[in-house]
Amino acid sequence: MRGFLRWGRARAVDSGAGGRWPRGPAGIGARRILRWLWPGTLLTGCAPATTRATFWMLDPKGVIAATQTHYLALDVLVMLFIIVPTGALIIGIMRRYRGGRGGAYDAHWDHSNAIEAVVWGIPIITVGILSYYSVKAIYAVDPNRPAVISRAAAAHPGRPPLDVDVISTDWQWVFLYPQQHIATVDRLVVPVGTPVRFRLTSATVVNDFYIPQLVGMIDVMPGMRVRQALIASRPGTYEGFSANYAGAGFSWMDFETRAVGRGVFRAWVKKVQGGSRRLTYAQFERVARPTIDVSAHVSYYAWVEPGLFRHVVTEVRDGKTYPTPMAMTENMTAYLQSRAAQASAH
Amino acid sequence: MLVHIDGPWSPLLGRLALTEIPYKNPILVGTFLFAVVLAVVLVGLTTYFGFWRTLWRDWLTSVDHKKIGIMYILIGLVMLFRGFIDAVMMRTQQAMAVGPHSAGYLDAVHGYLTPYHFDQIYTAHGTIMILFAATPLLVGIMNILVPLQIGARDMAYPYLNAVSLWLTAAGAALVMASLFIGDFAHAGWFGIVPVMELPYSPGVGVDYWMWAFQLSSIGTTLGGINLLATIVKMRAPGMTWGRLPIFTWASLSANLISLTTFPVVTVALALLALDRYLGTHFYTAGLGGNLMLYNDLFWIWGHPEVYFVILPAFGMISEIIPTFAEKPLFGYMGMVVASLGIAGVSWGVWLHHFFTMAAAPAVNAFFSITTMAVGIPTGVKVFNWAFTMFRGRLRFDLPMMWASAALFFLLVGGLTGMMNAFATNDYMVHNSVFVVAHFHMMLLLIVYAIFGGVNYWFPKVFGFRLEQRFGRMFFWLFTAGTAVVFVPMFTLGFMGMTRRLDYVAFPQWQPLLDIEVVGIVIYVLSAAFLVAQLYVSLRDRAQNRVGADAWGTSRSLEWITHSPVPFYNFAVTPEVHARDERSWRHERGLDDAAPVVYEDIHMPCKTAIPLGLGALGFGLAFALVWRIWWLALLCSGAIVALIVIRAFMTGTSYTIPARDVEKMEHDRKRGAAKPARAQVPGGSPAPVLGGGT
Ligand code: HEM
Ligand SMILES: [Cu+2]
Ligand SMILES: [Cu+2]
Repeated sequence: MRGFLRWGRARAVDSGAGGRWPRGPAGIGARRILRWLWPGTLLTGCAPATTRATFWMLDPKGVIAATQTHYLALDVLVMLFIIVPTGALIIGIMRRYRGGRGGAYDAHWDHSNAIEAVVWGIPIITVGILSYYSVKAIYAVDPNRPAVISRAAAAHPGRPPLDVDVISTDWQWVFLYPQQHIATVDRLVVPVGTPVRFRLTSATVVNDFYIPQLVGMIDVMPGMRVRQALIASRPGTYEGFSANYAGAGFSWMDFETRAVGRGVFRAWVKKVQGGSRRLTYAQFERVARPTIDVSAHVSYYAWVEPGLFRHVVTEVRDGKTYPTPMAMTENMTAYLQSRAAQASAH
Repeated sequence: MLVHIDGPWSPLLGRLALTEIPYKNPILVGTFLFAVVLAVVLVGLTTYFGFWRTLWRDWLTSVDHKKIGIMYILIGLVMLFRGFIDAVMMRTQQAMAVGPHSAGYLDAVHGYLTPYHFDQIYTAHGTIMILFAATPLLVGIMNILVPLQIGARDMAYPYLNAVSLWLTAAGAALVMASLFIGDFAHAGWFGIVPVMELPYSPGVGVDYWMWAFQLSSIGTTLGGINLLATIVKMRAPGMTWGRLPIFTWASLSANLISLTTFPVVTVALALLALDRYLGTHFYTAGLGGNLMLYNDLFWIWGHPEVYFVILPAFGMISEIIPTFAEKPLFGYMGMVVASLGIAGVSWGVWLHHFFTMAAAPAVNAFFSITTMAVGIPTGVKVFNWAFTMFRGRLRFDLPMMWASAALFFLLVGGLTGMMNAFATNDYMVHNSVFVVAHFHMMLLLIVYAIFGGVNYWFPKVFGFRLEQRFGRMFFWLFTAGTAVVFVPMFTLGFMGMTRRLDYVAFPQWQPLLDIEVVGIVIYVLSAAFLVAQLYVSLRDRAQNRVGADAWGTSRSLEWITHSPVPFYNFAVTPEVHARDERSWRHERGLDDAAPVVYEDIHMPCKTAIPLGLGALGFGLAFALVWRIWWLALLCSGAIVALIVIRAFMTGTSYTIPARDVEKMEHDRKRGAAKPARAQVPGGSPAPVLGGGT
């Protein structure tokens, strides 16, 4: 098993040269074919250049996402290799034997050992091949210890990883930067080309942390801590959101992810540290009260109480909840008005 | 001991109060008025035609497996309609609520449904389509066909069969009641914990969902026991395992699944009930609860359940294709092994519904491989159907059109299923509309098989064929609607759109969402042709009467008895000589062979107790939803009493003397020989189709 996996890893990613980070393994060609094959490309009626911007699945901008897309393309091509001939076979038989025109009508033919061996053989072989790649891919992007990230980091030892702790609330995202002692709500900023290591938990219900172009979904669970990691390979703004239904405000639960140069990132940290708001546990409890962030509001904290992440996990384990008042979703307009009134009263 | 509930509660009415009736919501008020009008019309028609007596004696209290099957199918169709309306609302809401500048109506900020309402709609849609549409439709078809295919007079336990039916009906009624009294769950059809726990769902919605689910799952478990016992013990002489019709094998595999997995969901929901009523902490985030336990328990049922619904669909396709290819099924043994294999593997794949839960890579790898392994027997089936048509004489009558189109859904659904099974793909598309499109391909395969099956066996049950011209138009429009809804949905999946959004933040998705609405419109149009097909079929039924073998080339045992099937199924229990008994007899010129001697027939009596149990089940569930303790106690007591009373009842069956059987058979023969004007008002003598080609 070990050797098999090591062999698998060795070929999963070609390490990028210089400061450019790998866009992923040599699967770009396959991906392009896939994009053209897909009827939706035609449906949207866009030129490929613009479809790239909208087909997030096929347009990765990070190491993990690129590896995922590579294997997606591989999987689909192997499957199409089987499915297309099968579909053609069925259509061919239907046309040929319609009304018995194909001749050779045989009212009793219902068995052939050779054919049966083939019809069992083909799916078994296909599933065997796909299983091999699936296992390889699982280890490559395992959220606990993603091989592609370890390898990319090993290739660039001078870039210490950035830690980010993620806490989902009803219905916002709180990002803590323990090394920088700052925090943000509904905005994630990461330096390009640097491994980012996440620890994630929820103050309330289960969410999925998801940035389509950078990293796949991971369940963010209350009272538990999971890990995830990413490396952004291109600067840019990427959409992130919760993918798992979490209650009434879930549709508004998105955060913009900005991947910026490392110098820009340092400057941004300085600027946030220069602010005045402090995220203590008491303040966190206020942030975590059920809030539908309809207006995409972002906040920054210049200082974070040490151990906040851990504190949230233990409190939830001890039974802390942030109940949803039923009324807040029954009449949304009234709810938003009352919130606006509250805000202006303060 | 009971958990504390916020809000008013009274001993008499529990949590129920006038304010729980959503009279302020124009959508629900409109629905309510529609329901009232419909009810008035139905009651009026029943009275006008003097149908009440027949309704009571021949349907509501019947234990006849065919009538129970028909009633299952009617429940399924009504709920299919309801689920479809839910779908229309979801599609229009999502198309209207795109981007921060989209307009809002009726208290919603965007679109016309508040999150609270929208979330209930998709939860209801999923729950209804799986538990109260697909399941009853298929259980109904199994109910009608399995005893006929194995040459039995009824199910092994006819009374239990009626109990299953009325429990399912009670569950469906509970879901419908939640429209007008209180609200429904918002946590998705599979229930998301801890959203379903009291702090995040303080209302009665989750309770409605939970108890409706319980009623139907108990009904289906009992039904599974019944069908298994029937298949194992009630086969006609000569019906060896190697001669069992393939649909019956599929039903056997499916019910092995239901018997072993429905109890799991019963327990999973019972633990949830303990959390919500007694304040335990099975699935809470804190205080020792383990919310992952719920996911495991639910999907240990949930995945096998999807195979529970697809196996009978496979079985129907396997019956239809040979008839219209005029050839036996290719690779019968392979098909049997594949069906049992699908059932077997389906127990070991549940974790693929939460690959994203950060399990160790070895765990995800294991479940990824087992899930892909399901593709093996599924692939074999596709090939075997193809080779059944190979060297055949294909006729594309309506049933065959539906069945062969289903194959293509299996290809697309299988491809996308295999994509989801590849765990790292699933990290990208889990909870996206790509997954939604995947399982709709599979569920549409089931719908296609059901339409094919209904067209195919309708003449067996009712004695006349369904009209084909409107039927074909319905087929093509329905298929067009499917393409126009689901190609954009797959595409949106690749664009990164996740599911359950009642507000869509990214405007680039708008064009495709609009196209989906066009598809929905096509679906609505197609329904008009379905209605036309049914109407014309009914009007022209005299021309479309059929003999025992409605299609001329049918193969299995059910086609040797009369169409419509007499209430005792077979005049004498048939002796089975071959796998395709009807073809065997046909080849030997035995089509019209009359029995030499008639025998007494032993039949179950009708009873109103199952109906009563269903009503009490509804009462109990309703009382529990609203925490009306006295009513819950009363209903439970009455249920126990009824069960005990029934257990002591004697004379629950009767015998039809051989003489009477002979007379009925002779009358039928004479009726068939000259289809008199008198028999069909306004009709001309009808040709007997099929029969002795
Ligand atoms: C080749 C066979 C199949 C494979 C490999 C397969 C694979 C999968 C996988 C991996 C998922 C999980 C996706 C996710 O939630 O991230 C899934 C979801 C689902 N599948 Fe399939 N599937 C297959 C056949 C079927 C069939 C036959 C049905 C139903 C008749 C079905 C119905 C569903 C449903 C209902 C869901 C989603 C449930 C939900 O999240 O609401 N699948 N399938
Ligand atoms: Cu967990
Ligand atoms: Cu599954």
